[in-house]
Amino acid sequence: MHITEGFLPPLHAAAWTAVSLPFIIASAWRVNRLMRDQPQTKLLLAASGAFAFVISALKLPSLTGSCSHATGTGLGAILFGPSVMALLGTIVLAFQALLLAHGGITTLGANVFSMAVAGPWVAYAVLRGSRWLNTPLAAGVFLAAMLGDLTTYTVTAGQLALAFPDPASGMVGSFIKFVGVFAPTQLPLAVVEGLLTVVIVDFLREYSGDELRSLEFPPETFAAEARP
Amino acid sequence: MKARNGGLLVLAVALVIGSVLVGSRREGAEFAGSDGRAMEAVATIQPDYRPWFGFVWEPPPEIASGLFALQAALGAGIVGYYLGFKRGQAQGRRSRTDAGD
Repeated sequence: MHITEGFLPPLHAAAWTAVSLPFIIASAWRVNRLMRDQPQTKLLLAASGAFAFVISALKLPSLTGSCSHATGTGLGAILFGPSVMALLGTIVLAFQALLLAHGGITTLGANVFSMAVAGPWVAYAVLRGSRWLNTPLAAGVFLAAMLGDLTTYTVTAGQLALAFPDPASGMVGSFIKFVGVFAPTQLPLAVVEGLLTVVIVDFLREYSGDELRSLEFPPETFAAEARP
Repeated sequence: MKARNGGLLVLAVALVIGSVLVGSRREGAEFAGSDGRAMEAVATIQPDYRPWFGFVWEPPPEIASGLFALQAALGAGIVGYYLGFKRGQAQGRRSRTDAGD
């Protein structure tokens, strides 16, 4: 999902930076407040960021004979709420842009938006939705992490389509083309990310009860709220 | 619960291994990154587009693999530290309550 350095026209690069910046600032503020009000969750926050760090460093092979990496941002988003991930994701992406020639500074805004804003928000919404529908927690966590991952890649495809509309078929044609590049590679990886996230959440439920309670995780189900 | 998680991990590993096996049967499979392929797609849509900004610093390939490993190691190290710390804490609590009985 990394748009390579220089691969967005200057106007697009600036616009995505402007879009992402408020999310990063809000995220820094949120993380700061979390550290002050709930310092006992500090280590768990570090571990959630580290999860995204390791997951996005591993390029995994896919069925299509190409490779890609998962994002790992779903875990932190469902535990801490989506807003904290903007900061953590930016740290990951900046590391890769500066030291690994992966992604870029000019495209950082666009990459932050897809990986650290759109993906986490979708993951969070999916988990909330699954609680509302009363599905088992594991299924909700799996879908949240998987769909968050896929969202990131879909948004990247959208960003590229906006910048590079196909001369014949326009933005839609271009979008389909970029989704066609990402989707088949990403689908199995998103499933892997979903599975790993379920295992970690399960571990946390067993061993990190105190932190989860103070974060009010898992969110209550709809039925539990409706019960007298 | 433990068995289920073990099963899920096995499934995740099987997916990755299966992907290599199926993927490498395809013609021209070299496991190129999908990011790179997307940038190639840009070139087919707008052949005259030239990236207007270059990498600030590009590590030599051997160094890059080391830095990728460093990123993974840092991440895995912190995750592992947290999980081990929490397990140990829970074990400590259990043995204290046992002693108190």
